[in-house]
Order: sequence, then C-alpha cells, then structure tokens
Amino acid sequence: MKNHLIGALLGGCVLATAGTMAAAQDKVVLTMWHGHPEWKNAVEAILARYEEQNPNIDIQLEEIPGQSLIARLNTALAAGEAPDLFALRLGPAVAAAGEAGQIIDLTDKVDISGMTEAAQSAARYDGKIWSVPIFGSYTVGLYYHKEIFDENGVTPPANKTEFMEVCRKLQDSGVTPMIAPAQDGVIPAFLYMMMASSVLGADGFEEVRAGTRRLDDPDVVEAARFLQDIYPCFADGSLGTAYTEGKALFALEQGAMLEGGSADYAGFLQTNPNIDVGVVPFPAVDGGTPATVTGMQDTFSVNSESEHPDEAIAFIQWMIQPEAAQMVADTITLSNTVGVSPSDNPVMKEMVEASLSNDVRVFYEFPETGDVFAAIQENAASLFLGEITPEEFSAKLQAVVKPSGA
Amino acid sequence: MLAQSRQWDGRGGRRRRQSALARRYGHLLFVAPGFVFFIAFMVLPSLAGFAVSLTNWTGVGTDFSFVGLDNFVEALGSWPLYRAAWHNLIMFLAILVFQHTVGLFVAVQLHAKPRFMEVYRTILFLPVIISLVSTGFIWTLMLSPNIGVINALLKDLGLGFLARAWLSDPDLALATVIGVQCWNVLGWAIIIYLAGLQAIPEELLQAAEIDGATGWVRFRRVVFPLLSPSFTALTVLTFIGQFRVFDIVYVLTGPLGSPNFETDVLATLIYRSAFGGSSIASNDVRMSYAVALAVIVFVIMAIASTFLIRVLRRREISA
Repeated sequence: MKNHLIGALLGGCVLATAGTMAAAQDKVVLTMWHGHPEWKNAVEAILARYEEQNPNIDIQLEEIPGQSLIARLNTALAAGEAPDLFALRLGPAVAAAGEAGQIIDLTDKVDISGMTEAAQSAARYDGKIWSVPIFGSYTVGLYYHKEIFDENGVTPPANKTEFMEVCRKLQDSGVTPMIAPAQDGVIPAFLYMMMASSVLGADGFEEVRAGTRRLDDPDVVEAARFLQDIYPCFADGSLGTAYTEGKALFALEQGAMLEGGSADYAGFLQTNPNIDVGVVPFPAVDGGTPATVTGMQDTFSVNSESEHPDEAIAFIQWMIQPEAAQMVADTITLSNTVGVSPSDNPVMKEMVEASLSNDVRVFYEFPETGDVFAAIQENAASLFLGEITPEEFSAKLQAVVKPSGA
Repeated sequence: MLAQSRQWDGRGGRRRRQSALARRYGHLLFVAPGFVFFIAFMVLPSLAGFAVSLTNWTGVGTDFSFVGLDNFVEALGSWPLYRAAWHNLIMFLAILVFQHTVGLFVAVQLHAKPRFMEVYRTILFLPVIISLVSTGFIWTLMLSPNIGVINALLKDLGLGFLARAWLSDPDLALATVIGVQCWNVLGWAIIIYLAGLQAIPEELLQAAEIDGATGWVRFRRVVFPLLSPSFTALTVLTFIGQFRVFDIVYVLTGPLGSPNFETDVLATLIYRSAFGGSSIASNDVRMSYAVALAVIVFVIMAIASTFLIRVLRRREISA
C-alpha cells in the first residue's frame, strides 16, 4: 500500500513536471535589455499587460544602468549574444549596427505612421527604419519648486535677466537657486542646448546643420555667456555631483530649480511623493524665446540573430499603439504616438505646454551636430571655471559641427 | 627497492631516454593547464586587441577598415593621454610614500605586539576587503558637500572653515581621491611589511644590540635593509595598481575625471574613448582608438615594471 502511494506520488510529480515543461516550451521567450532601472515598475506593468494579451509570450527584462548597458551591449553584439530587443544610442551606433546586419531592417515590418513627425524622423536613417522609440520621448525644460518660489516671492524666469534676479533673491534668502549635477557634463550640455535654442529656434538649428549659421556667431555666443554666468547659481560642489545625486537633491527640496526632462518626474515622485513642482521652458538669452529641447527615449531594435524576430517585431508594433503608448505617457514620459497625452498628470501637461512655444530637437541625434554634445561635456567645466571665454567655448563647439552643406 | 631500481635500470636505453625526457620536460605537463588558459584569455585577446587598434572600429558594427598606426600616432600626440598619465604618476608617488612611511610605521608598531593587536590589525585591514566600488560609493556620500558627514562633522567640531567641496574643487579633487585610496591600501602595506618584519631573525637584532646599536640604528642598519623584498613587492604592486586604477576614480569622480578632468586617469580615458562619456550620445565613441591607448599603456607599464623590478632586486642583493 505504501509502495503504491509513493508510486502514485512520483507519477503525479512526473506528470506535473512534464506539463510545466510543455507549457514552458510552448512559450516564446523574448529577452530585452534597457538602461533605466528607475522605470522598473512602470515597464514591468507594460510588459505584464502585453503578456496578458499574448499568453504565449514571456518577455524577460533586464535593467542595466545607462553607461554599463552600453559596455555590455557592445560586447554582447560583438560576441553574437545580444538579447532579442535592445536599445542602441540613436545616431551612429544604430546606423553602424544596421549596416553591419546586427539589427533587423524594420522598414516594411513596423508601421510607424501613427507616431509624431519627430519620432518618425528619428526612427529613419537613410530611408530605413532600424529602431523605434517605443518608450516615448523626453522634453527638457526647467523644473521649479512651487513652494520655494512662493515663499520667496519669485516667479519662474523667462529670460537671463529675470533668471539672474531670481538667483540673487534666492541666494539672499539662503536658498540654493539651482541644482546642476555637472560631474559627467550632461546637465551643462542640456543647458547649453536650450540656451542656444532660445537664440536659434528650430529654423536656426536647421541652418547650423546646413552650415549657413554658426555656433560662434556673436548672438549664439551669448548662449555660452549665459551658461558661464549662471554657474554661481549652482549648488555647492556641482562639478563633482553625479546626475542621480542631483536629481535626488532636487526632489528633496535642496535647491529651487533643476534643468530636467519629462522622464525625470517619475524619479522625483519616487524620491519624494509629496513633491510639488512646476515646469517651464528654460529662460532665454535676453532677446530670445524661452526654449525646450526634445529627444527620443530609448529607440529599440530587433537583434538579427533573434530566434523569434516576428514576435519581437510584433511587440514593438504593440508598444506604439495607443494602449501601450498611454501607459508610457502616464507612467514614464511623453508619448511619441499621435493623440496620446498624459491622462492625469498636471506636471507632464505643463511640460507639453512648455514645449509648444520653441522646441528644438536635441543636437546629438543628428550627424552634423552629433559631436557638439561631447564637446560641451569636455569644455563646460573650463567655461564655468573661467579658463576659457564664451567665445573660445563656442569656437570649440563650432569646430566639431559637420555641416551637411559642406 | 634496490631490486626495483635494478629492474628499472636494466630495461634498456629507450626507457632511460623517456625518463630523461620526462625529467627535462615533465614540468611542462604541470604548467600546461595554466599556460593554455593564459594563452586563451590573455595572449590571444591581447593580440586581437592589437589587431583592433590598427582599424577604425567604433565598437558597434563590422567596419574594421585598416588604418595602420594612425590611432597610435593620434594617441601619442594627444594632450589628454599625458594629462591622465601625469595624474596616475602623482597618485603612484603619493601612495608609495604613504605606504612606505605610514604603512611601515604602523606595521612596526603592530610588530611590537601591543595589546589588542589582533583588533587593530583587523580594523586596519578591513578597507582592503571592501570592494573599491563600495569604497567609492561610501566616500562619495561622506564627502558630498550637500549631504556628506565629513563637512557636517567639521562644522560640529567648530572646524567649519575646513569644510570643502572635496570632489568638486579642482585644487582638491585629486588629493581627495588619493586620500580615499590611502585609506583603502593602508592594510596592504601593513600586512606586507608585517610579514617582512616577522621574517627577520631575532638573532640579528640581538647581535646588533650586543654591538651597542640603538633602536633607531638597529632599524636603519638591520631591519630596513632586510625589508627590501617587502619594499620591492609593495613598490611594484603599487606601481601596477596605480597605473591601472579605474573603479574608485570612476565611482568618485565619474567617467570624465571631474572636475574639469583634474582626476582623469589612463583607465577612465580609455573607458571614455571606448564607451563614451555618458549614456546619451555615442558620437565620440571609438573602440579602436581606446584599444590603441590601452596598448600604449601596456607597453610602457611592462617596460617600467621590468626596470623597476631589476633596480629594486639589485638593491635587495646589495642589502
């Protein structure tokens, strides 16, 4: 009797295991890497919705923080061990992977007609679609703490003169005017892009790309001067402060203002659920128009060595449909899908409004101005410390522009 | 046993030849596994790396166009390489002096077996077993001018005038990074010198004492010369360690060696060239150039290390 019982139990176990294995074998497993651990909950919720609608798909997500992702992804690509879905940095990296056949040409496989013009433009390279910005786009402007502003009787500045006045008043009250984590040069690069955009506008930026306008033109040099002049408004130790630390400091109200993107707001909330901030376009160089800049969030490609390319492509297509796009807009950042806007997020709505007046694409997504970002990173600290003049700084930036008309 | 030997000897020349072969080359069998791994994971990748340095490969894609020695010429003519190497050199010299003075001093004190010696030794060695990345994060937080405990402590002690933006001040950042490293490597210096001190025969010290040598003379004339092997080991290890230091600098001051490249070292320069200065733009990424930099650093370090070992070994022999 005892032997029969053990036998029955063993048999049951075998059957159960076999059943589980069969179910597992039926499932298509897609591997996916992305570089935003801070979005973990939001992305997992989106993936769960997709898996719910597609029970045969299991997407295994791995979050690898930004810079480490690049090192690991490049190595994995070279070794032929990259995941099914991954995001390369937009620009030369995507182009090189496409030309090398490491990623699938999505041109006739994914319909991006429902996306914004900027997103379609970013997705296309030499007429082909190699990657799709499925996690929306980010618009960068100026965040400010409403309460700190109210307490000190100041309003969001619209130009350099007003900004310097707000800075002075806040400093007089013992408040740090601006958190600007400049350790890796990313924040100074965004500050400069917005300041220069306030002079150039979208049309002027196109002229820079074409070579009919220069970053060392006297009026554009004023953007570099603005960047240099606001350095005293930064928090102590800005040159050595990391981006993540800076965002946390701002969320914890250690400073009144922060240059930040739409995708940063979710992180602020995670650090301080009671945060009360507003967002405006970044103040203009005097005489210019306050500006925001917009770039594509991770643009995802499909590994050409994927065992399940059709399923991976279907997932990308689903991500840009209204349902997923709405989840992105509500929990991560602005959507790239036409007609989708944040449903209940006043800060993101302010960001959308901020971008209506003078929004320019980020410089580094274009081959002509791609190197400007790195040049700012390398030279901003010298500008802040007064080792180079705004004229010299601007000349260094112009030196790396490769005009399309040249 | 004798019979076995005779039987062995009596088997003729062929067997004896095998035995000679085995005696001469048998050790290779023991070396072979490690050697195979060394070839597979060190030599071949290094050769492949050198091949990559002769191309224009960006790190992504399959464009490996041959560019000859262009990357090397460009690297050797670029100021950032010399700036980074200068920072490595300063770090090496500062940490070397620290280890051979403070490290040796503490080791001598511990060698005298004070009360709670084991506790002291454990505490002093503790930083060594903490990963450099963790060390970097801990110190980043402690040194932060906004939330750090160091400045807060100074203020509480009435020394607020000493509070600084330790990692952001261009005049202080490199010294601060060196300070953090000193905290981290002190344990090594102590352990190596302590081992050297414990190996010195007591008779020599007693003989010197009988000859009337004072404590300082005994240390200078007997102990220190006999610590030469420890000195050599520590110097060479510090040289190699400081010229390839990466993780702690990366965590403390980022990929750009902030502020304004004041803490940029060879490894961060190579990393930045290979993977970019940020996760946002990729335009400045050139893997082949980074590999060329790494090859240059490898060659210079190999030459310098060999020279250093020879000079220090000669000193050991004469001592």
